[in-house]
Amino acid sequence: MFNIRDKGASVWESWSPPARSSFVLIVITLVALLPYAGNFGPTSFLDTPISSYQAVLVYPIALFVLMGLGLNIVVGKSGLLDLGYVAFFAIGAYTMGIMGTMTSLNTWQILPFGIFFAMLSGLLLGLPALRLRGDYLAIVTLGFGEIIRIVALNLSVTGGPNGIVGVPTPPAVLGQKFELDDHAGYFWVIFIMILLVIWMIRRFTIRRPGRAWEAIRQDEDVAALMGVNLLVYKLWSFTIGAAVGGAGGVIYASKTMFIAPDMFTFNTSILVLACIVFGGLGNIWGVIVGASILAYLPERIRFISNARQLVFGLVLLVIMNVRPDGLLPRKKREKIREKQAI
Amino acid sequence: MNLQVLESQFWSLCLQGVALGFIYVLISLGYTMVYGVLRLINFANSEVFMIGTFATVVAQVGILQNQTDSQSLHGFRLIYTLAFALVFSMVVCGILGILVELVAYRRLRALGAKPLGFLISAIATSIVLLETTRIVTFSRPQTSPRLLDKWSFGEVAGANFRIDTVMVIISGVIIFFVLDRFVTKTRLGKAIRAVSMSEENSKLMGINLNRVVSLTFFIGGLTTGAAAFFYTTVYETTQFNVGFNLGLAAFTTAVLGGIGNLRGAFYGGMFLGVLEQFASAILGSQWKSVTVFTVLVLVLLLKPNGIFGEAVQQTRT
Amino acid sequence: MNKKVQRSLAVVSAAALVFGVSAVSSATAAPKSVSLAFQAPLTGSNALTGQDELTAARFALSEYNATNPAIKVELVIADDQGLADVAALLAPGIASNKKIIGLIGPAFSGATQASLPAYKAGRLPLISMSATRVSLTDRRAPVNGFPIFKRVVANDKFQGPALARYAVKGVASPSVYLVDDKTAYGKGLADYTKPNIAKLAGSDSVPENTSDYTSVVAKVKASGANVVIYCGYAPDAAKFVKALRDGGYTGIFAAGDGVLKATFPNNAGNAAAEGARLTAADVPFEDVATPAQMVAYTKLTGIKVPGSYVTSTYNATNIFLACIKQGIVTRAGMQNCLTNGSFKGVAGDTIRFDRYGDIIGGAAVGAFTIKAGKITYLGVA
Repeated sequence: MFNIRDKGASVWESWSPPARSSFVLIVITLVALLPYAGNFGPTSFLDTPISSYQAVLVYPIALFVLMGLGLNIVVGKSGLLDLGYVAFFAIGAYTMGIMGTMTSLNTWQILPFGIFFAMLSGLLLGLPALRLRGDYLAIVTLGFGEIIRIVALNLSVTGGPNGIVGVPTPPAVLGQKFELDDHAGYFWVIFIMILLVIWMIRRFTIRRPGRAWEAIRQDEDVAALMGVNLLVYKLWSFTIGAAVGGAGGVIYASKTMFIAPDMFTFNTSILVLACIVFGGLGNIWGVIVGASILAYLPERIRFISNARQLVFGLVLLVIMNVRPDGLLPRKKREKIREKQAI
Repeated sequence: MNLQVLESQFWSLCLQGVALGFIYVLISLGYTMVYGVLRLINFANSEVFMIGTFATVVAQVGILQNQTDSQSLHGFRLIYTLAFALVFSMVVCGILGILVELVAYRRLRALGAKPLGFLISAIATSIVLLETTRIVTFSRPQTSPRLLDKWSFGEVAGANFRIDTVMVIISGVIIFFVLDRFVTKTRLGKAIRAVSMSEENSKLMGINLNRVVSLTFFIGGLTTGAAAFFYTTVYETTQFNVGFNLGLAAFTTAVLGGIGNLRGAFYGGMFLGVLEQFASAILGSQWKSVTVFTVLVLVLLLKPNGIFGEAVQQTRT
Repeated sequence: MNKKVQRSLAVVSAAALVFGVSAVSSATAAPKSVSLAFQAPLTGSNALTGQDELTAARFALSEYNATNPAIKVELVIADDQGLADVAALLAPGIASNKKIIGLIGPAFSGATQASLPAYKAGRLPLISMSATRVSLTDRRAPVNGFPIFKRVVANDKFQGPALARYAVKGVASPSVYLVDDKTAYGKGLADYTKPNIAKLAGSDSVPENTSDYTSVVAKVKASGANVVIYCGYAPDAAKFVKALRDGGYTGIFAAGDGVLKATFPNNAGNAAAEGARLTAADVPFEDVATPAQMVAYTKLTGIKVPGSYVTSTYNATNIFLACIKQGIVTRAGMQNCLTNGSFKGVAGDTIRFDRYGDIIGGAAVGAFTIKAGKITYLGVA
């Protein structure tokens, strides 16, 4: 099967370091200018029936790319099936909601707290859960996602089913305001976060944790025999994934200014997971492509409102049947190694 | 905390929990059978169940022409109607199970996809089933007429032995027993177990792998369809979104008992049904799912393979 | 930006064409034209509510158009599915379409809350026909609808006490068991019902879409309650009342407007629902409309028995239209007109809004019961 991912990788490897750096810079600049694409050409065909192209770029696309990258560390890199990723997103969002309305801290000051609480809950859940094997981990994480939602529904500090209203928007940074219509500002914030996460993933991949994750993903028993401390490295990947989810949650809450438990259902976990599997598991470009398409598609086809989820399901089903490893699958040589491992 | 309810309702809660547990057990077989053979979570099973509940309503209202406000039936007509609806729902779900395998699994198996690929394609299939039903039924709940007059055999220690409760328990035992015998004694059952032990070896033994996998999905569909019939007969109403909660409970059942383990699923279902009843009675219904998952995590911590372990082939032979 | 939003909204507003609302094809057309938006769930599990309400908005508009007015009004229909997150996405688009000078809705409280920031930023006046959450017009609430939000429906502060009163009416030594469904609506109504219950035997919260109510029934029986009040929606109420009756409970079953659906008696099995006491934050349209109006309504919509909130939606639409008739074509003008104006409801009542958006004197709470499988209107509760 033709593999764009491998083609891209070989072209990339043939370039000299300066060529690589300038390519990266150009791509970053172009992406950063995306909110202004309207000035260079028509973008209206990208508008969804309820929101403009610029708005869609922030939510769902950028936010889902961010969350996809975070979940990719857990599922794609170290092979831990997490079906409750929305829990960390919710924890970040509720940290923002509660602290934003009750204290005088602003979004940027709350962001570290959101990340911290998400990581803490990842650690607390991971300690018992990560001892379990794959499919059991799946249901425990699924349950955790539901528990967070139900607890948010039952407690009064979270506003119960009413949620939290009046979550403050972020204060201006360097003259860039974050009002309701400042889509570009939000886009840049999330884009910077995405770049940070990509940078982090790339650093990890070539260092010890990345190798340990790879070993765990391919065969836990062998990894353990080779002296990889399974629990420690699994916890690392789990909490780092949680941190990214928490950060996304803080920004989301601050952007929508309103959060309620029914925004954090199992469907969101599934959508994020579908994004990364659809795009190509374990592969940054695959995640970005998958999240952009799957997050955007249901919004774009909102005009067939009644059937849009159905169309979404059908597209997902067909693509999975045609390309079960996603649109941009993992590198071939990794796959070959995987086959041998089996 | 509300302990006063236990004084008068303890045995009633137990009985209702067991009856609910049987429905969970029957649905969980759809997960556990497939997992035993393919080592994959059959995520679409919850929607197979949902379709089964509608199939039951269609059989009773659409095919047998019982009006929604009709009087309850008696004698031969009643038995005939119930039996027909049961068989109809089972067959629909069984065939649907085979279709789910064909659409969501067959090609991916041929391509050698990874477990997550199967998971997503199964979820995609369940989205398709769910959304189709939602559109067809206009999101409205469908009611099944009260064909079975809910008379009671009598009360023992406050537990009301109502006909539908008793029917679910007795039929559940029978279906479970038949299935257990089928898997342990018959040729096809042995083929299923052989595949669950080793796919490669069973291929070498001349077992038609695809046929066994289809059979497994069919059987899982049959029991899920039976569960759908009992659900509809007891609660007399269904909606397009009924699958999620029931499917989750059934999946929990399977995991509690050791996924892939038939008899484990049985005890898992009983345990879960009773646990849910007591959790909602004592702590309040809003804490039911939290309690269930806390208990699940605790159980898995102590017994990482579920209460009864997951080795299908060992416990069955 | 405006143009883009308009174009994308054209898909939804195309539906308005079908119903004879003349869309403005060119800006040069002689009569001025404005748009009213309509926001409610038209798909999803709450679609029925929105679809019923939409008939009323269309009916009011068709009456208006029949008078051949100077200012044409176009209806822009937005489907928020009754969900907060969808509404939060949808609202900015509507808010930035300056042609829209008023919004009928949003239908649901959660969706209203989520869309308020956008509408406030756009200063778009709203009149909701069915958002009953008290905080929306509570000046002490962290986020209320002031100044743009108005509603023509009784909020939970009126309905809660009325429900508590009506549920125990004529019951000797009532002991009440209160159950809510953990949704924003159910919890909200329960919170305002609870203080008005003299003797509370117990309470529980059963999340939406629960299928097994036997443990709640066990608790109700153990508590010895003879009145059960349910705050939630019809599908769950149907399961609950059936489980209660099958479990041998013989007392009263009462519920709020979420249960007041024509399908409720049928879904509960007619016998179980018989005698259930229901309140509504609204009164039935067929009881207040003139016979001629009913004929016209049926002719336009094909519906013989109007659904819930048809009266309030009809009133909401007419209030906007009354202002437009005065020549108002801007949001600011509309805001001023709504705040200071006095309007006629379909029942002949006078509608004036207080500072925070509720009808002065409170909207009427209707009392209903189920007789022979049909919802029957008894009068104002």
